Amino acid sequence: MSAHTYSNKFVYHEPGLQHQFEDMGQQEESVSIGMWMFLVQEIMFFGGLFTVYLVFRSKYPMAFAAGSNHLDAFWGGLNTIVLIVSSLTMALTVYYAQISKRNMQVIMIMLTMAFGATFLGVKAIEYTDKYNHGFVPVTGWNKVVRPGAAAEHEELAENKPCYEHAHGEEHAYVNPRGEFQWTDCSLAKQALDHNYLTNAEKIGYFSNGEIDANKFRDKVRIFFWIYFVMTGLHALHMVVGLGLMTWLLWTAFKGRYNMEYYMPVEMSGLYWHFVDIVWIFLFPLLYLLGRHFLHG
Amino acid sequence: MQTQDAIAPDYTERPKLNYLNNGWTVKSWLLTKDHKRIAIMYLVTVSAFFLMGGILAASIRLELLTPASDLFESGTYNKVFTEHGILMIFFFLIPSIPAILGNFFIPIMIGAKDLALPRINLISLYIYWIGGALVLWALMQGGVDTGWTFYTPYSTTFSNTYVMAVGVGIFINGFSSILTGLNFIVTIHTMRAPGMTWFRLPLFVWAHYAVSLVMILGTPVVAITLLLVAIERFARVGIFDPSIGGDPILFQHLFWFYSHPAVYIMILPGMGVISELISNFSRKKIFGYEFIAFSSIAIAVFGFLVWGHHMFVSGQSMYAGMVFSFLTMVVAVPSAIKMFNWTATLYRGSVSYDTPMLYAIGFLGLFLIGGLTGLFLGAMGLTVHLTDTYFVVAHFHYVMVGGQVIAYLGGIHYWWPKMTGKMYSEFWGKISAMLVFVGFNLTFFPQFILGYQGMPRRYASYPEEFQVLNIFSTAGASVLGIGLLMPAVYLFHSLIYGKDAGDNPWMHPGLEWRTTSPPPTENFEVMPVVTWEAYEFGEESGLDIEGARQREAMKV
Repeated sequence: MSAHTYSNKFVYHEPGLQHQFEDMGQQEESVSIGMWMFLVQEIMFFGGLFTVYLVFRSKYPMAFAAGSNHLDAFWGGLNTIVLIVSSLTMALTVYYAQISKRNMQVIMIMLTMAFGATFLGVKAIEYTDKYNHGFVPVTGWNKVVRPGAAAEHEELAENKPCYEHAHGEEHAYVNPRGEFQWTDCSLAKQALDHNYLTNAEKIGYFSNGEIDANKFRDKVRIFFWIYFVMTGLHALHMVVGLGLMTWLLWTAFKGRYNMEYYMPVEMSGLYWHFVDIVWIFLFPLLYLLGRHFLHG
Repeated sequence: MQTQDAIAPDYTERPKLNYLNNGWTVKSWLLTKDHKRIAIMYLVTVSAFFLMGGILAASIRLELLTPASDLFESGTYNKVFTEHGILMIFFFLIPSIPAILGNFFIPIMIGAKDLALPRINLISLYIYWIGGALVLWALMQGGVDTGWTFYTPYSTTFSNTYVMAVGVGIFINGFSSILTGLNFIVTIHTMRAPGMTWFRLPLFVWAHYAVSLVMILGTPVVAITLLLVAIERFARVGIFDPSIGGDPILFQHLFWFYSHPAVYIMILPGMGVISELISNFSRKKIFGYEFIAFSSIAIAVFGFLVWGHHMFVSGQSMYAGMVFSFLTMVVAVPSAIKMFNWTATLYRGSVSYDTPMLYAIGFLGLFLIGGLTGLFLGAMGLTVHLTDTYFVVAHFHYVMVGGQVIAYLGGIHYWWPKMTGKMYSEFWGKISAMLVFVGFNLTFFPQFILGYQGMPRRYASYPEEFQVLNIFSTAGASVLGIGLLMPAVYLFHSLIYGKDAGDNPWMHPGLEWRTTSPPPTENFEVMPVVTWEAYEFGEESGLDIEGARQREAMKV
């Protein structure tokens, strides 16, 4: 019955080999399948949110286009480039681990971390902008503008017919309770004039046969709700990724990884690329789709 | 061929250290990476949750003894059945067989030293504890009254109970089940001993492979859904609130996308246990091994495509309903394949009626009723009459209790001598198995009739003409309760006074019976090399099972 006995502590152990495995090949295969399974789990996790996005986008495309046009595609595009470059430096980290170059590993990890931090910094700029303009979909989480503070518009936003606002107008309305504010229904008007409102929109935007600013605002708020949940969850994954990188930096600095043992680097790389790919989907869905409506 | 004695393999002396006495400190338990110790800690916690859920169930039955809502007022009753559902589903049924028996026996059955990712295994236990603690805290603070389904907009907008804490607790707990599933998949792929090919795996392992797929693919979706509900309550705006253009039906889609496959998380491991019990206690190879193995996978796959049958009357499109109704009939086919193969295995087998086998035979009958009534509910027309009645309650209790809990108890009794090295009292085991069977039927069969007559679920009071059957049901619940408490007594008793079980008390050929009881920390003294097929009772198994049985018979 006995082919070979279990390895015990008197037998030579490869460094980094866990007790439950027979050899490094088995360990690497296990860790790799485990990481891929984890990523499958992550896809389903974000998948729920993407489903939510698809359902509401197909219901209220004009409200989503309106919300989307108030995201800054410049910052979003910049972040996309930053993340793609960080994926390159991450891949190079794995490469330099595989050819046992410690210094280059450390440099590449630091670059990856710098790009990751840049991404989060840009995200913070964008979130602040939303805060200042009253686009955060939670009451009380927007900048409070008391009467007298805003020189141009001394009235409450909802007192004006919403489709009379021009694009790009500053949203300096009085907002004493920090509510979500939306003053621009021109896209709904445009869709009405050209007759391409969906059935759900014909119910969802109108009361008494006219476009209702408050009802349109509610649908745009759903867009911003989804925007904040999706990008927030993505940013949380970035923070976790930066934590991983910090640990990787420390261990790489101590020279743990070489051509015989680089699994942790490769696995962290898989995670990092996954978070990158999620953004590659988020950017067009949230920032780009519907921009053409601006130009009629 | 060289064979060894089936009862006492050729160990010259028994190893002094096994997984239980290898370290006595609290730390050696709490920081262990041994899958067997983690399984035992799961067993203790899961049993505690089972007891709490059971007490809540008993109080529900007590309330329903009389037509008026006299024991609880309606609001309290809502909380009681909600907490019963949440504790039983998320904290008992889902982790029961995978995290206890699967955790303990999958590595041993495939000849490995441990699960592939032991630290992840320990983390999953701690996540389970944290999630459970949060839910218990919410229970102590006043509970939650939404039903275990958390339907919006009641849960997001109107309920004044601890929905957020419970939602977050279940969100956290979900990751415990994801990590367990992930660990099983990796282990089954990479840790099999030499010669243990895919088609030599015990069917218990195949069932767990299928369950793990569902855990990994389904659980994240309910996790994100409950997180959205929790954020929505906290932020007071969101996507499920119809008053601002949100969509409550979307919640039901997302929720059932996980929660229907979750019933397969609950029943598939039970089916795995039953495959082991039926084949081993019939002392012959299982009939249609490949069919049972692949029907597990088929259930896992088709199980993802039938969630809409929970929403026939929720305003889902009629055409979607027709597709879901058809697919529901389709998913019954692999379950039926299993039933036929188990029955065919019994035919001309050398069946012995030990306690685990009594549970297995009980399972066959109860799961048959549970499965067939599921077809009634999957039929789109009939379900309009039966939706939200006691018929539904009876149906899923026949599958969950009659299926999973019975299989779990059968599995615990079957492997108890391996886990502890002690044998329980066979007499009391049989008595309790029969009490559970009788008590269960008395509790839930009347509910089919009640539901068909139109008694709605989730109400504390009911019209007086339903009282007779409700008294039957409550009487049955007390018998069932006694039957479930008895194992707790005699199994504990066996730990101290039970006689030594020996390594292979049932004389079965599986790998887990070829190591010592309780197993050593590394499971086997020498790495096993598998040269036999699953459930091989002949000489090819390398064990002299027939000879051992004859010698045993002579002794008596």
